[in-house]
Amino acid sequence: MNIVACVKQVPDTEAQIKVKPDGSGIEEGGIKWVMNPYDEFGVEEALRLKEKNGGEVTIVSVGPQRAMETIRTALAMGADKGIHICDPAFDGADAYVTASALAAAIKAVPFDIVFCGQRAIDDDSAQVGAVLAELLGIPQVTVVTKFEFTDGAVKVIRPIEGAQLLIECPLPCVVTAQKGLNEPRYASLPGIMKAKKKPVEVKDAAVLGVSTEGKAKVARFVPPPARAAGKIICGDGTPEGKAAELAKLLREEAKVI
Amino acid sequence: MAHVVFSVGNEGRQVFWNADYFEPILFLLSAFALTIFAYGVYRRWQLWVALGRPELRTDRLGKRMNALLMNGFIQWKTFRDPYPGIMHGLIFFGFFVLFFGAAFDATEFHIAEPLGWAFLRGTFYLVFSFLMDLFGLAVLIGGLLAIYRRYVQRPDRLGYQGKPDNTLDDAIALLLILGIIVTGFVVEALRIHVTRPPWEVWSFVGWFLAKAFTGVDPVQAKTLHKITWWIHTFVSLGFIAYIPYSRLLHIITTPANHFMVSLKPAGYSEPIRNFETAESFGVGKLEEFTKKQIFDSDACTRCGRCQDGCPAYLSGKPLSPKKVIQDLKTYWLEMAPAAVAAKKEAGCIAAEPGGKPGKKNILLKALDRMDAAVDTVVKGTTPGAAPAEKAMVGGVIDLHELWACTNCMYCMEHCSSSIEHIPKIVGMRQYKVLTEADFAPELQLTYRNMENNSNPWGIGAHLRADWAKDLGIKTLAEDPDVEYLFYVGCSGSFDDRGKKVSAALAKILKAAGVSFGILGTQEGCCGDSAMRGGNEYLYQTLAQANIEIMKNYNVKKIIATCPHGYNALKKDYPHFGGEFEVWHHTEIIADLIAKDKIALKKPVEGLFTYHDSCFLGRYNEIYDPPRRVLAAVPGLKLTEMERNLARSFCCGAGGARMWMEEDIGERINNMRTDQAIATGADRIAVGCPFCLTMLADGIKDRKKEETMAALDIAEIVWKAMDLEEEKPVGEVCAAPSAS
Repeated sequence: MNIVACVKQVPDTEAQIKVKPDGSGIEEGGIKWVMNPYDEFGVEEALRLKEKNGGEVTIVSVGPQRAMETIRTALAMGADKGIHICDPAFDGADAYVTASALAAAIKAVPFDIVFCGQRAIDDDSAQVGAVLAELLGIPQVTVVTKFEFTDGAVKVIRPIEGAQLLIECPLPCVVTAQKGLNEPRYASLPGIMKAKKKPVEVKDAAVLGVSTEGKAKVARFVPPPARAAGKIICGDGTPEGKAAELAKLLREEAKVI
Repeated sequence: MAHVVFSVGNEGRQVFWNADYFEPILFLLSAFALTIFAYGVYRRWQLWVALGRPELRTDRLGKRMNALLMNGFIQWKTFRDPYPGIMHGLIFFGFFVLFFGAAFDATEFHIAEPLGWAFLRGTFYLVFSFLMDLFGLAVLIGGLLAIYRRYVQRPDRLGYQGKPDNTLDDAIALLLILGIIVTGFVVEALRIHVTRPPWEVWSFVGWFLAKAFTGVDPVQAKTLHKITWWIHTFVSLGFIAYIPYSRLLHIITTPANHFMVSLKPAGYSEPIRNFETAESFGVGKLEEFTKKQIFDSDACTRCGRCQDGCPAYLSGKPLSPKKVIQDLKTYWLEMAPAAVAAKKEAGCIAAEPGGKPGKKNILLKALDRMDAAVDTVVKGTTPGAAPAEKAMVGGVIDLHELWACTNCMYCMEHCSSSIEHIPKIVGMRQYKVLTEADFAPELQLTYRNMENNSNPWGIGAHLRADWAKDLGIKTLAEDPDVEYLFYVGCSGSFDDRGKKVSAALAKILKAAGVSFGILGTQEGCCGDSAMRGGNEYLYQTLAQANIEIMKNYNVKKIIATCPHGYNALKKDYPHFGGEFEVWHHTEIIADLIAKDKIALKKPVEGLFTYHDSCFLGRYNEIYDPPRRVLAAVPGLKLTEMERNLARSFCCGAGGARMWMEEDIGERINNMRTDQAIATGADRIAVGCPFCLTMLADGIKDRKKEETMAALDIAEIVWKAMDLEEEKPVGEVCAAPSAS
């Protein structure tokens, strides 16, 4: 079975994000880069599928040079090889361009199933998996919390409000992973050491033959407004007085009641 | 045989009285017993060296001889526990003297007397007689104490989870000991009864016992004497022959283990150096232990001292250090014979191509044949049949046992055989974490957090120095010309409670005029939890990063508040080139008080009890400085918990347990809190942020937070210094107008 897992390198969830003064992006200095957590669920599921049914897991990532670390991380977990789509022209690429690059790379290798994270925690666009499926011309099952592969078909569970959908889907298809799908493994040390020697192909836009012209463009990055200081309601000091003051402020200042 | 005339003034032992013509038989018997003994030791030797990596444990002979003397002979560690210590001391020293007495007897009879150099004479002989009886009595009492302890008193530590682990071997060993002494005294009594020498009282036990034979016909007594003498001889020789095949082997293995004691820092594990080339890390198979580590298990006497204070065992977890060592011993005895056979085979094959088959010397070949014959007789099988494959980690040693250890060092501190439990646990954890990557999910998260943000909580690394924001503390980047680096550590930087301790210490240091700085956001996790949890790779990454940054600033002296960081920096970092002078803050504060650099003026109310943290106490022997500090605080009353100093009970957070779920048995921190409550104290003083968290949690869990509190030494001292402007608490709003 040929399994593909797409990964994106993102800032650590705890990293301090500072917007560049000109609003063109974020300051990258001092940021710890990690694999997008949702992609990690995808990689883990890909590895489990491989362990059960045999085959090979290929990691594909679009990103600058540093994204290679994330590919190696996935290889350390047990994936077999990687494709690193690395081209300065992809810097700041939108979901469509990213998906096109991924699609072009994936089309060049045999594949039965493609795992993606349901979204990346940096831009939260949640589109790449879906666009990728469209570009590959195959079905997609998204935001999956349970995955099963039996009799040549995929059975997944996708939670929706107040219920769960059980979806069956033939191969090939794209599956996007949601939290709860699995507990990604901790890479073993022999795994980490072996990962250094596993093959990773580096491809640029020209090799892939994809346009780097996006459909959407980030106009400007703006940091969220700083949270205003809290307010301590004193009133006249009595509980009644405090309650009255609170009600007044909620109505007149916050305008919520 | 020369007949010696005994008279007053020429008192002497009637050595081998009534038995002299059995001399040839006695010689044969002795030679037979010694052969069985020697062969047994030889067999065992083969097993000792069959498996495991080599390890240098014969260097620094002076220190080793000292260890042998203090623990092997004087048995200082054994005496730390009065009852079993005295019990064992009576037997050991008793036998020691009896052994030399017997040697004197033999020398006198076989060498000195025939040559006319008899020395067991006169006053010397009388004192000798007295001492022999005295020490014989000592063995008798010791043996009876042992029987009482093992079979009547039955302390939990002579078992596992309430079930005694007595074996037939234990009983045989005790019976042999008692048998030798009782028959010896009876022989003596009968001799005295028949011969009635004027100096008979000097052999006071025999003399007293002789009264029991009053009225027995001398001829009958002589026969009875002869029979008893032979029983005594058989039992004594049997004892010697039995040694290598029984628990008595500890007479050899335990002193040997004291000699081979680790001279490295407490709990030291050899750092892994071959990350790039090795296929497997840590200890997954028995042979990945060192030979010395395997030998440890043969030095174990099952005395259970380790188990007695093991927080994991006492809180109802499956781990018992004794059981781990005994299970490894059983496993080793299953695995080693095959390895011995394989070695012999390899030896034969190696000899073949040399051209001259049978290059092994005749003695070795004979021994090999004897081994094969004995194997066939004893086991009825072909020698070296491979035992069933079973995993050591997860099979022989259950994973719940492996992960229950808090690395508190109690077992190693109190082991009277110098067994090293913790490096074995860490080695096996390394295998699970590094090679198999199969370990608790919560610990995986901790390690990811340490990887990504250099702290176990995973709080953004950029927030590391936030606690110091308003305190005017300079980083080394701002001012590297300081005497001390204050290594804050993760708890001191990220934990709300720990931050207060860091602030208190920083304020004390400032008030005392100590020149210090911090690394700020350049500081990293010390890595202790990674190392003790088996993630040596992560630990070394973290350690190297810290060492590099500290060296960049030319750091010489370091103050640490967390004993885990303190121990890592002081004891472990030198293995990676980080040589610093490291102090714990309680040492620094004690010094500042002693030098009158700070004044403690404000009385601190409350009855305190001080909790000895494992990594301060047992690991680094810092027992006194924190107590000196507390004693200097005006008005402070201090009481001690029953388990204190080297017997202190772990809070439950060491050995990476801080980050793991504790779902078997009682919670260790609650048990420790109960021990503090039992003293009547309302304040627990600590010098460790992990202990602080654990005990504060325990106080909450015991619903005592209204009346009890856990405080760090630094907080107590800062309060007593009375330099803080009292900030009114909860007075944001004006007081309600009177109505």
